[in-house]
Amino acid sequence: MSQASRIESLRPLPSSRSMNEEEVARYESEFKQYATKWAEILDRNADRMKRGSYSLHWMNTDKAAWGKRAKPSSRGLTYTDVNHVPGYGVLPEKATWLNFAPRGSVRDEYAAEMPIVDDYTLVNRDESWADNVVTLYEEAKARQWNATRDIPWSELERLPDDLEKATCQLCTFLTEVEFVAGDFPAKWLYRIPQDFLEVKSFLVTQLMDEARHQEVFRKRAIAGGGLLHASPGFEWALKAIIDAPTHTMGTFLLNLLGEGLVLSIFRSGEMIAKTHVDKEIFRRCLQDEARHVSYGELELKNYLDHAPNREAAVEEMHRFADVGEQVILTSFTEAALVEPVAILLGGGLDKIDRGMEGQGRLWKMSVEEYLQRCDRAGFDRRGRCTIPIESPWGQN
Amino acid sequence: METQAEPEQAERAVAFPSSEWFERLAQLMKVNRALHEHLGYIDCVAQFTVLDGGLGGKPWSVQVTFEEFEATDVREAGPDDVARADFTLEASLATWREMIEVIARGRGRPDLTHTLNYLSHPGTPIRVWSQDPLRKDLFFRYNQSLQEFINASAAFRTFFEG
Repeated sequence: MSQASRIESLRPLPSSRSMNEEEVARYESEFKQYATKWAEILDRNADRMKRGSYSLHWMNTDKAAWGKRAKPSSRGLTYTDVNHVPGYGVLPEKATWLNFAPRGSVRDEYAAEMPIVDDYTLVNRDESWADNVVTLYEEAKARQWNATRDIPWSELERLPDDLEKATCQLCTFLTEVEFVAGDFPAKWLYRIPQDFLEVKSFLVTQLMDEARHQEVFRKRAIAGGGLLHASPGFEWALKAIIDAPTHTMGTFLLNLLGEGLVLSIFRSGEMIAKTHVDKEIFRRCLQDEARHVSYGELELKNYLDHAPNREAAVEEMHRFADVGEQVILTSFTEAALVEPVAILLGGGLDKIDRGMEGQGRLWKMSVEEYLQRCDRAGFDRRGRCTIPIESPWGQN
Repeated sequence: METQAEPEQAERAVAFPSSEWFERLAQLMKVNRALHEHLGYIDCVAQFTVLDGGLGGKPWSVQVTFEEFEATDVREAGPDDVARADFTLEASLATWREMIEVIARGRGRPDLTHTLNYLSHPGTPIRVWSQDPLRKDLFFRYNQSLQEFINASAAFRTFFEG
């Protein structure tokens, strides 16, 4: 039997359904439904090309902000520099361009043929804007660092077993919690229209920061002994953040409260670090975290300042915070966090009680900082805060 | 990270506290520009207060303005100037002295218990404060740059009067 006839005699393989059959069918159906729109554009373009004709309509600058050139400042060409050019820097209160057409481009005359991106639901500027977001974006880019290269890993010293385990457990906690600050903005990032590009850009830097934090703590733990225990209390706090009903509520819980407390942990981490490697890690991370906290403060302030009914908006935030604070508190009372920090603060397992006393003082300071940040945002939690000012273990 | 100084200036001792001491750090920030560019922009006004560093043991303060990668202005500050500063770091002369001497011994790297954050996190012996929490957070946002700014003091000799 020849090779060809052998192949012809083979029975066909059993037909199998695509693994994504329903999704692909839905996609086909959707784009066939819109075929009169995009297929017309395709036909028009094909026809023009066949005729050997050029359009060159894009060279028409009548409706463009053409010729008003952006000038760089001393640190380069920033978004602020570009936004000073007439035609580019005005953000709408409500985004109506629910597609990718750039703010400041000639786009009105094409609107009828453009698709709508249904996922763009955060259309009100005051659901995501903060007055410091451009500054924070530029700062975030300028202050990026590399967890592979910028940490002096070769200087990592072996610690006594109790201190190494405490350090690795603290790093396990941070590895577990850090990327919620990536996943949460990611969940909202694609819902923010392109007209709010500065917010989207800043959130992307937050994603990068958190990827690096997750990376650096994972590396530190595994370089020092290994990852230790995950914790259910942490998980509930993370779920409370990721499931927050609105972007502003989640940003309050994540950036203002959660990252504010983690900023305190990073500061404690730098203080209690037993190696220069650990000090460098925590110092670098606390800088990033402070940027996220600053966004959270002014995002909440902007939201409340522009709420059509401020009183109702404040009350709704209080309702949310009443629950959110308690769930976050669950995480910050977990043994897998409190005890390793106490051991590091005290200087050893035999000095854990002394460490708990020190941690009690830091707790009080951290809660006061949280309340100050709420005050700054115009959100007075002092009479309603459900997190105790005194640490739970210091009240006995 | 070890800092560099111009050789002719390295041997001249500078008094602490004094504006000259901080101006010397500002000059070194230019010398160490590559390091600061690597760390990123720093844009703030930091006030350093020596609680017993003035005449008759009264407070003495200096404000350092940071822009991009440089300290562009150093000026003594009085009580009326405090609002100009984003945040203030205040401590006794003994605390500042101990920190500076440890950094000098470490050739520009403090030991584990003499970093700005270590000394300030519990609120003592260095207190970091501001009337605005948002402006206080600049101390955290630029912490590594501020640490390197101070670490550069190892590049020259400091003497302490009194």
